[in-house]
Amino acid sequence: MADKIYRVRMNDLSFSVEDVPKEWLGLGGRGLTSTIVAAEVDPECHPLGPNNKMVFAPGLLSGTAAANSGRTSLGAKSPLTGGIKESNSGGTSAGIMAKLGVKALIIEGLPEEDDTFYHIHVTKEHVTIEPIPELVGKENFEVLDTMLERYGRKVAVFSIGTPGEQRMLISNISVKDPQGKIRSLGRGGLGAVMGSKKIKVITVDAGDSKETYLADAATFRAANKAFTKALKENPISGEGLPAFGTDILVNIINEAGGLPSMNFRYGTSENAEELSGEHVAENIQERGGKTTHGCHAGCVIQCSQVYNDKDGNYVTSGFEYEMIWAFGANYGIDDIDTIAHIDHIMDDIGVDAIETGVTFGVAAEGGMLPFGDGEAVIKILTEEIPNGTPTGRVIGSGAGNVGKLYGVVRVPVVKNQGMPAYEPRAIKGQGITYVTTPMGADHTAGYAVATNILNSGGHIDPLKKEGQVELSRNLQIASAAIDSTGMCIFVAFPALDDPACLPALIDMINARFGAELTGDDVTNLGKNILKLEHAFNLKAGLGKADDRIPEFMKYETLPPHDAIWDFTNEEIDAFWDF
Amino acid sequence: MTINFNAFSFARLTLRSQGIECVNVDRELRDGMTIQDFIDELGFEAGEIEAVFLNGTIRPKSTVLHDGDRVALLPPGTPGSYRLILGIKAMNDQETSPE
Ligand code: SF4
Repeated sequence: MADKIYRVRMNDLSFSVEDVPKEWLGLGGRGLTSTIVAAEVDPECHPLGPNNKMVFAPGLLSGTAAANSGRTSLGAKSPLTGGIKESNSGGTSAGIMAKLGVKALIIEGLPEEDDTFYHIHVTKEHVTIEPIPELVGKENFEVLDTMLERYGRKVAVFSIGTPGEQRMLISNISVKDPQGKIRSLGRGGLGAVMGSKKIKVITVDAGDSKETYLADAATFRAANKAFTKALKENPISGEGLPAFGTDILVNIINEAGGLPSMNFRYGTSENAEELSGEHVAENIQERGGKTTHGCHAGCVIQCSQVYNDKDGNYVTSGFEYEMIWAFGANYGIDDIDTIAHIDHIMDDIGVDAIETGVTFGVAAEGGMLPFGDGEAVIKILTEEIPNGTPTGRVIGSGAGNVGKLYGVVRVPVVKNQGMPAYEPRAIKGQGITYVTTPMGADHTAGYAVATNILNSGGHIDPLKKEGQVELSRNLQIASAAIDSTGMCIFVAFPALDDPACLPALIDMINARFGAELTGDDVTNLGKNILKLEHAFNLKAGLGKADDRIPEFMKYETLPPHDAIWDFTNEEIDAFWDF
Repeated sequence: MTINFNAFSFARLTLRSQGIECVNVDRELRDGMTIQDFIDELGFEAGEIEAVFLNGTIRPKSTVLHDGDRVALLPPGTPGSYRLILGIKAMNDQETSPE
């Protein structure tokens, strides 16, 4: 059966199941969510008002046996940046939606203004929308467990905690992973959009729907075999990530002088060794956790981990570099176990690790609390934020707003979104991505690489401007394309070393849909997505002046390299010349 | 001369298994040694060290070391686009390509 668009209208609690318009047929993931948001959402709308929409879409290869194809994209206008947003996550939802034939789930409108929150349940050609008073005020793990009890373990679950209910800008949306734990649609405050629509939880049940239809099953299988082999034999995806996870970056980025510390004052952290992937892996081995763990069933890389406390009890999974950096280096907590505990709390209440960590850094700079005080953070996350106290709401409003409230100049945001774990002054290619991506300061926007568009010949010096705009542009084009396949970003790196990797990926897309895409088509897809997103932002009022680095980075040098942001406006704006 | 030395990821495991300290330690080297000489002295084979930070930047392995230098050894396996953005891949390509 052909895929369908499922549309839910919260204003009258109705739904429809629609044919997929021809123009959307070849799209998935970010390509589809951004296309639908651009087509149907007024760029000038209030992100929490009746005219914003949420668009959930599995990737093009989700639901198939393709390795690492289980990302779900969510698109909307972001209440944090005021621009278009695509956030994607692992978890079981992409595979389940794809098997059910849900090309996209669009949620629009606002229900009547009262205290009611709703549960949306999606099944074959049907959607129920019902009040769920018993879960209001509850956090994600309780919501998740309640849903799994009700529907069994094979259901997909998206939910928000109390920060999302209160429409806080640091809130995210949780996605169930294969172990019944949580991954997140993290950035851009999309939990607040779900809260504004009064949706507490969405479940998708594929019932007995079979494997996703393949136009050419034999070719698909052969291509998937080649693709999986490329992933497994590569030193990054085959060994480095499984052994140490993404947190292996702490020592590397610290050594490069690009690990933002104490609210982006320094480029190295005294805590680096404590926070390092090597140290985390040691703890995991000693305490009986797991260094390998997949965020969805088809993952052959397994960068995720299971982290236990000193007594061997489970604390958290998916303990990633960004989180460890945010609270360890940027906010200054010098104990990895405290950070693991905070990670678990943040999964439970549903707030973005990067935005929340950057917010605490700015709050400490403003004198609201001391740097490095893990207990103070835990109290705010478990008491002030869930109860919506003024202190909770201040932190819940994100780094940019806290900076304004406390009169702080050193506020590391672009388009009001907190910067991730790479200092733009010392790692300039990343800085160009922060200022130019339509997503606000985001690292995954330029995270992936495809060889056919990447001229990696010349020497890149991260401290110098040369070649950075072009590098960032190519990375962002490749990422936009990868984000449409449903593949996790890590599949892109083996492609740098293994010429068989990318063609195998394209072969799989062709075999799934009976298409004849080439590498150039994929590149063009990436370009089109970026341009579409940029055009939305321009109409939303985010112009060139928003494609800029915070001013302090232009006059404060960053130790140890005394690096400074020295791009001219013209150099930055040339990014869009393609 | 004395250098300060670190090894990351698998390189750390390799050295530790031989009882060689490799986290922020000082090490005495002969004057005039290059980064490659140092890698060889530690017993690494070709391909086991993808790139080397010298005083915080990726430098060619032929670089001569000096007293007070800070050296960090990086095996293959740097995730993300950082292998590109930090210049690790470009340096590695340059060093492994036949002239
Ligand atoms: S490599 Fe990591 S992010 Fe990618 S699918 Fe596997 S666990 Fe998820």
